[in-house]
Amino acid sequence: MSAGGTARPPAGLRPVAVNLLGVVEQPELGGTPYRVDCDGRPYVPAGDGGIVLGLRLGESVFARDADHAAPGACLVHPDQAARHALAAYSCIGNLAVVRTGRAAGARGAVLGKRGEEGRVIAAFAQEDLARLRPADQVAVRACGQGWRPPGFPPDVAVLNLDPAVLTALPVAPRGGGTVRAGVRMIVPSKLSGNGVGRPSASWDLDLQIRAGLGAPDLLLGDLVAVSGLDARYNMGYRNGWLTVGLVMHGASPLPGHGPGITPILTGPANALLAEPDEAGHTGLTEAALQRLSAAEVEVQ
Amino acid sequence: MNLTSNAARLVSQVLAGEVWPALADRHAYRVGPDGQPFVLPGMGGVTLGVHCGDPATGYASDHLEPGASVRHREAGANMALQFLTCVGNTVRVESGPSAGALGHVIGQHAYVLVDFAPDVMAGVSTGDQVTVTACGQGLALAEHPAVTVKNLSPGLLAAMPGGTRADGRLEVHVAATVPAEAVGAGAGMVSEYANTDLMGAYAGLGADLSLGLEGLRIGDVVALEESDHRYGRGHRPGYLAIGVISTGQCLLFGHGPGPSTLLSGPADAFGVVTDPDANLASWLHGGWDASGSHPGRENAR
Repeated sequence: MSAGGTARPPAGLRPVAVNLLGVVEQPELGGTPYRVDCDGRPYVPAGDGGIVLGLRLGESVFARDADHAAPGACLVHPDQAARHALAAYSCIGNLAVVRTGRAAGARGAVLGKRGEEGRVIAAFAQEDLARLRPADQVAVRACGQGWRPPGFPPDVAVLNLDPAVLTALPVAPRGGGTVRAGVRMIVPSKLSGNGVGRPSASWDLDLQIRAGLGAPDLLLGDLVAVSGLDARYNMGYRNGWLTVGLVMHGASPLPGHGPGITPILTGPANALLAEPDEAGHTGLTEAALQRLSAAEVEVQ
Repeated sequence: MNLTSNAARLVSQVLAGEVWPALADRHAYRVGPDGQPFVLPGMGGVTLGVHCGDPATGYASDHLEPGASVRHREAGANMALQFLTCVGNTVRVESGPSAGALGHVIGQHAYVLVDFAPDVMAGVSTGDQVTVTACGQGLALAEHPAVTVKNLSPGLLAAMPGGTRADGRLEVHVAATVPAEAVGAGAGMVSEYANTDLMGAYAGLGADLSLGLEGLRIGDVVALEESDHRYGRGHRPGYLAIGVISTGQCLLFGHGPGPSTLLSGPADAFGVVTDPDANLASWLHGGWDASGSHPGRENAR
């Protein structure tokens, strides 16, 4: 295997947290409202970015007639470089606090991120989301990139995770230098869509799966494994490798797109073990996110 | 291909482009499959010494764009140039020592990629103005309504071997068939722009990265399995996309030699013939004379 070593910080280094500014996004469209779905039908995309109300963790990714809809508010930054940094450094479980507007003071947590120009998805209680407005400012306490959980084998890379969130996920080290992750399903790498060839620290990976093709249902907040995919740096095909991600946005009618995962674990398939449970899997829940966002932040 | 098409109904548009410089940032390095940092040329500017028929991989290069990489300075005009230009279209150099010389489009890669004869290419540099005679978008095959044609000039279509078979299928000659696992960056993008990077062609790297595609050549016509490129680029069992390899060697992970899409439709609409000569060099390379006539049409075998 050519994948010798991981060019990541050595174990034992303390992660640092940085306060970043996110701005609640207003969705943008071009001069024509239409996109074209995989069967050639034009549609008007609803739910692609900005604040989406009523969508909850635990709902099917196929439950809405929407495009890339995420359960919460998308955060961006008016400066593109700062926007990339917001996406790259924010991690699942990071505390997000609203600083301005009618929802000022509301606490939420980062649920994931999306690529291209960069977006961070922050989950809030529905009553707080309803008071949010595009251009409201949200502080994100970004922490997690470079963190190595104790007890993890060196060849399993951990990314995009707040150190506090791991206990809320069905992920744990096991004996023999392995890590086990409970997942809803394992999908082959050929179903990887938009996000392949892009950096896993700041992009999500769309899965090209559709409702009603015999596949099990997939819920927002689920963990999913992709076999044959290495996501340590850019995401790409590698035989004998596995990547686990958290589902944080819903399906899309666009060809090459679909429900998206933020990668959290990647390693050789003999060190990172995915245990699929189509009926009983539980990933990240709203209750777990609420506990994270309510917790007092340790002052370092 | 001897086919009934609407080619006579298509119009040509004269589009201006400019040979665009290679771009970098102050951090210089990008990251390979195993985390190896690299600084390698190949994208943008004028890349010399690699033409249709030459190996796509095996170079110390990243996102190798053979020949001249062409854009327009204005965003909207650039998208028109990228969307409307088709493989096989004629390109004329308008400035610099090679002014007046003709070449042809071999694909798209967020740039229009233009192959010129080596002596012409030697005189082309960043900032040179070129003119593309764009024709081909909207091309449709009356006998093959399930097949979508795009980015394909009528002249190149006429020069390619194949055509309607007795069983009604569209016979297409390809140099290689590509498994769906190879589809990398470019999935989810529109299929009139850029191309589909193919993974599994990292010459010289580990066996766990290989999908057996290291032998691809620039200009090869290939079939992408389980791919539907009619309305963008997506995975779809039972569909096929036919493209031409317009870019070469990559070290950036998740990237690789890429086909620009030419045809797409249900797999059973095609009769795919494996043919090592299925390469643009077989049909276009004789067209280096400055007659201005369509090289594809002039050099049909």
